[in-house]
Order: sequence, then structure tokens, then C-alpha cells
Amino acid sequence: MSDVEKKIIQIPEITRVEGHAAVEIDIEDGNVKEVRLDVFEGTRFFERIVLGHKYDELAHITSRVCAICSTGHVLAAIFAVERIFSFTPTPIETKLRELMHLGMIIESHATHVCALALPDFLKTPDLASFAGQHKEKFLLWTHLRNLGAEIQTAVGGRPFHPVNLHVSGLSKIPSTASLEGVKADLKRSLDEAISLAELVLSFAPPVERLTEPYFLALIPHDDKYGYFGETIQSSEGWQRSCQEYKEYLDEQVVTYSHAKRSLVKGKPVMVGSMARLALFGNRLTREALNVYQATPLFKGDSNSIWNNAAQAIEIIQAIERAIEIIDEVETLKNERTPEKKPLGIVAGRATGAVECPRGTLYHYYEIDENGVICAADMITPSAQNTARIELDIKEVVSQSTEKEMLGPHLETLVRAYDPCNTCATHMVAINWK
Amino acid sequence: METNPRPCIAVEGLTGCAGELLVILENLDKLLPFVRVASFPFAQSQNDDGPVDIAFVEGSVSQPHDLEKLKRIRAKARWLVAVGNCAVWGCVQGGACAKCKVTDMLEAVYGQHSEIQALESRPLDAYVNVDVKLSGCPIDKTQFLSVTASLLKDHLPYITHKPVCLECKLNENPCVLIEKNLPCLGPVTAAGCGALCPSLGAACYGCWGPSQAPQMDAMATILSEKGYEALEIMNRLKTFGAPEHLFERMNV
Ligand code: SF4
Ligand code: SF4
Repeated sequence: MSDVEKKIIQIPEITRVEGHAAVEIDIEDGNVKEVRLDVFEGTRFFERIVLGHKYDELAHITSRVCAICSTGHVLAAIFAVERIFSFTPTPIETKLRELMHLGMIIESHATHVCALALPDFLKTPDLASFAGQHKEKFLLWTHLRNLGAEIQTAVGGRPFHPVNLHVSGLSKIPSTASLEGVKADLKRSLDEAISLAELVLSFAPPVERLTEPYFLALIPHDDKYGYFGETIQSSEGWQRSCQEYKEYLDEQVVTYSHAKRSLVKGKPVMVGSMARLALFGNRLTREALNVYQATPLFKGDSNSIWNNAAQAIEIIQAIERAIEIIDEVETLKNERTPEKKPLGIVAGRATGAVECPRGTLYHYYEIDENGVICAADMITPSAQNTARIELDIKEVVSQSTEKEMLGPHLETLVRAYDPCNTCATHMVAINWK
Repeated sequence: METNPRPCIAVEGLTGCAGELLVILENLDKLLPFVRVASFPFAQSQNDDGPVDIAFVEGSVSQPHDLEKLKRIRAKARWLVAVGNCAVWGCVQGGACAKCKVTDMLEAVYGQHSEIQALESRPLDAYVNVDVKLSGCPIDKTQFLSVTASLLKDHLPYITHKPVCLECKLNENPCVLIEKNLPCLGPVTAAGCGALCPSLGAACYGCWGPSQAPQMDAMATILSEKGYEALEIMNRLKTFGAPEHLFERMNV
């Protein structure tokens, strides 16, 4: 028998996150030995499911990885396939895809910030008390998420699992009347989004972060703040094409969890709103930039719990940018549209990447000459963030003197990452040549 | 005198995409005046395991943990409502299990000696008695609210399983199968979405699951007349979890 004192802190199920996860922390003689984020959501083997299907079915299947970021999965798959076919959609379709994506950003961020993260700070353990005691905040959420849903319904046909986004473009261009309706609602919502950001910024994080994060995000393909691009920027200064993601991201299987995790040269990374703001915050739209410049984030405080605020700032940006896009689409409608090129099916392989609400999402496909999928790989934002979540927990527990009391704060910390465990557990390994 | 306690509901997820949880969360403001949310781990941290009047369950049974959870939910619920294609049919992960063995998939992902357990992905009624099956991917919010309203009044709701074509005709859409040769699965897919895809000029891909008595053989015949190959037709028809026995009469 040793007289070393061993303890385990367990959080058996983290509520208010997507999918199912638990945290286990081993403490030996007051030192944190190990932290395990156990994602026990069932596995769905998406990389296997798509095999044998035609390229045009990818949108239908991959959206089902995750409801809340289904638009992101659909677009990543479409971008990969269109790259293989060397196809470019019309400018109007490209704009509408971006508008659709912003709808997802608004809906996802609003749901996470208001309905999943805010109750920690308002101390409302159940929905009835949240809706009853904080009616205006509850309504803030309903309005903003309705706005995101309205955009995605106007462009994609429904609030998630879109049916109007395809390889080669859209099956129907939304009418001017529906886009003008969306625009009016966007304008009405801007003030609400700003007040949400101010509210979230008023809650100081209950725990500190000790080491600086290693951020990764896609460089937006124009000079604006955005979610589509080809090249990854890191906070260490390097840039790499997303086609080479296998060379900078190492994927590992861990025995205790259904989710895999990705590291960069052995180091945990952080992707998502905070990474995007840290790397490209100077490109924000007017009001979003105003709010951002007054935050601790702007001054370099990288506490993960500020991710809630970073998401709220991105809602403001998404609203401002969506208004611009609708105007650009309407202008394009009045111009002569270039003839749509036919889709030429060829064999090939490529990666498509997008910035999802929670960070960079990669989809890789190999397609044969009949347009059938013969290999697939997906790297989700949650898989990239997991190691950093574990490191954060380890740091917080290590510095604390009242370790047993930490449970609720740790949950707040994990939730701030907005981990999507339904997303993280779809993996199938493939052998790379 | 004590007033009658409000009916209790539970909203639980097994293995799925959380789509139904989102639809329910987003429409909860309409239910909150009438029910008490006893358990909804996706949306609140204080949950109790006591008996409930209605349990809504999303996702399919894909691991032993799901099965234990489902049995617990069944035991505490008066009405068990399977919500979404995953819970009713098994969705895309169910469709894949029809094509390849789950043990192979597991080995391919986590290696031979993994501690991770998986079951062949199955809908809820493979294991427990299900009172109401509300399909959709995701479910339609109007259908969800009307099913809930019926159950709160002690009525088993009526849910139509007529094909998507019916709603498509009511919308007066041109038929994309006949006129554009798109692989529209509307004839064999249950209605409920309002013929969403064909109304946008795209083919229905079957996300609501099979309609009542789907004529899979006739569907396959027309698709092969349109130039689709047998393997592709079967792949498309089986994507969203249509069970094997519906294909017995076919010889593709
Ligand atoms: S478009 Fe599809 S759903 Fe509509 S009538 Fe034709 S086959 Fe049926
Ligand atoms: S038309 Fe078919 S694929 Fe489209 S939403 Fe309806 S059931 Fe789903």
C-alpha cells in the first residue's frame, strides 16, 4: 500500500453541450496527473457511410453529421468536389453560399451563447427558470436564432440540413421579396446582437488561463472577415494550404474516448471564434469592430471563456455582412448572368475547408471517373479543440487549492468551447499513401 | 387546494445529429406554459429521472450505453415518442449498417483491441415498445407541436405516411422525375416536409423515411428507365434507413 493520496474528480455528464461527454481528472498527492475528456456519443462512421455513393449525395449525407453546423459540412463537401471537378459556380451562387453560412453562424452562436452558455452566468439550472426569470434574455435568443433560421430557410430551404445547396450551385435562387424580408429583419436585429455581446462581456471568467493558445484559422479569401478560404494561418506565423492538412495535423485515437483528437507537432491547438478574431479581427465590419476593440480579447486576454463573447461579436459581424451580401446579390441579379458551365465529372482527390462556428472543418474525398466516392476523411473543429480543453482543465485544476469545488467552473470552461460531440465522433481511419 | 401538477416531459438524445433536440429547444417557448421539462440534458443542467408523461427520444441505438438509456427512459415514460429519422428508421448510420459490418467499421476506426463498443445501429422499436413515431430529418415543427398537443389531451396522434408526391402535386410543382430526369424518391418517401426538395426543383432523397407500402420495385424500374444503374438506385433508396424487408420483392 502506498500512502500517496489519490483522488479522482468526475463530471459524469456535461449537460448543455451537443452530444455526450464526461470529464475525469486524476489527482495524485495534490498534483493533476491526467485529464480525460471522454466523449461517449455513439459513433456513426461517416467516412464509411459515404463510400459507394455518388458525389451529388454527399450534401444529403454529410449534413447529418451535425444539425447545428450542417451547412458547414455541406459546404466543405461541395468545395472539395468542385475542386476535383475544377468547377466554379456563378458569382451570385457564391454570394448566396456565404449568406447561408452566415445564417448558420448566427443560429449556432445565438443558441450556444444564449441557451447553452448564459445559464451558467445567470445561475438558472433549468429552462423554466431561464425563460421565466430572464425573459428579455430568453427573447434575445429566440429572436437571433430565428434570424439565423430565417436566412438558412430563405437560401437553403430549411433551418438546417439544407436542401438547396448542391455541387454546381443552387437549385433555386431566392426571390428578391424573400431576401428583402430577410434584410429588414437583419437590420432590426443589429442592436439586439450588440446588446447580447455587451451582456456576455459583463461576466468575468470564473477561472484563468495560464498558457497562450496556439491558434489556427483559414485566411478569408477576400480582404473581408469571412469563413471560406484555402490557406491556414497559425498564430506561430506559418501558412499552409488546407490541401496539406495531413502534414500539419496529427490525428490520434485515444482509448478512453469515441472522439479522436488532432495536434500540431505534438501541441494542442485552438480553433473557432477566438482564433478567427485573434488572427483577422482587424477585418471586422464596423459595429463588430467597435465592440471588439473594447474587449479584453482585443487587449490580448485569451481566456477560453471569452469564446462566448467572441461568438457574440461574430453574430454582429454576420448581421452586418449579410446585409451587404443581399445588396450585392440584388445588384448581380440585374446584371447579365454568365452562362452556367456544365459539370465535368473526372476522377481525383481534394480537400474542402470552411470555418464552422466552432473552427476549421476539413472534408477530404477521392472520387472515381463515375463520380463515386472511394475514400473520405473529415477533421472536425471539436477534434482539434479537445486536447486544448484537456490542457485548460489541467491548468485550472493545478493552480486551484479547492479542487473539489471546481466542478461547475470546469463545466463552464468546457461549454465555452462549444464542443460538438456529435461532430467529433464520426471518424473512420483511412490509410494514406 | 393544490392545482393539478403540469404534465412532465423528457427530451433525450441517443446517437444522432442533435437535430430534433434543436427543433424541440427552438419550439419550447410554445410548450413551457403547459408542461414541466423534467429532463433535457442538451438544454438544462438540472434534470430528474422521475416518471414523465411524454418522453421524446432522438437518435438511434448505436452502443450499449444508448440501449441502457433507452430502457430507463421507456420504464419512466407513459408515452414514448421516437422523433426523427434516426429514432424511427435508423437514418444514414442505419443505412450504412445494411451495407457493411459494424465490427469492420469499428476496427477500421479504432484498431483491433479498442475498448470502444458499438452495436449495429437500430431504430428504437428494435428494442422497446414505441407509442408514436414522428419521422423527419429534422422533424417538422408543426407536426411536432400537434403530436404533443394530442398527447397532452390523451389522444394518440394521427400521422400520415402518404408519399411526398401527394404534397408535391398539391403544390402544383412540375415533376422533376418525369420532366428533369432527376432521381426523385418522392413516390416511396413519407410526406410531412411539404415536398420541400421538388418545390425548389431538386429531387427528394428520402430523408423522411419510407412511405406506407412503398412500391420499391416500381421506383427502381422507373429510375432504371431514366438511366440510373442498379447499384446506384439501391444506394440511394437505402441511404435513409429503409429496412431490408421492403426490398424483398425486388430483383435488382
Ligand atoms: S417531383 Fe418527385 S415528389 Fe414531386 S411528383 Fe415528381 S416524383 Fe413525386
Ligand atoms: S422532399 Fe424528400 S428529401 Fe426533401 S425534405 Fe422532403 S422528404 Fe426530405
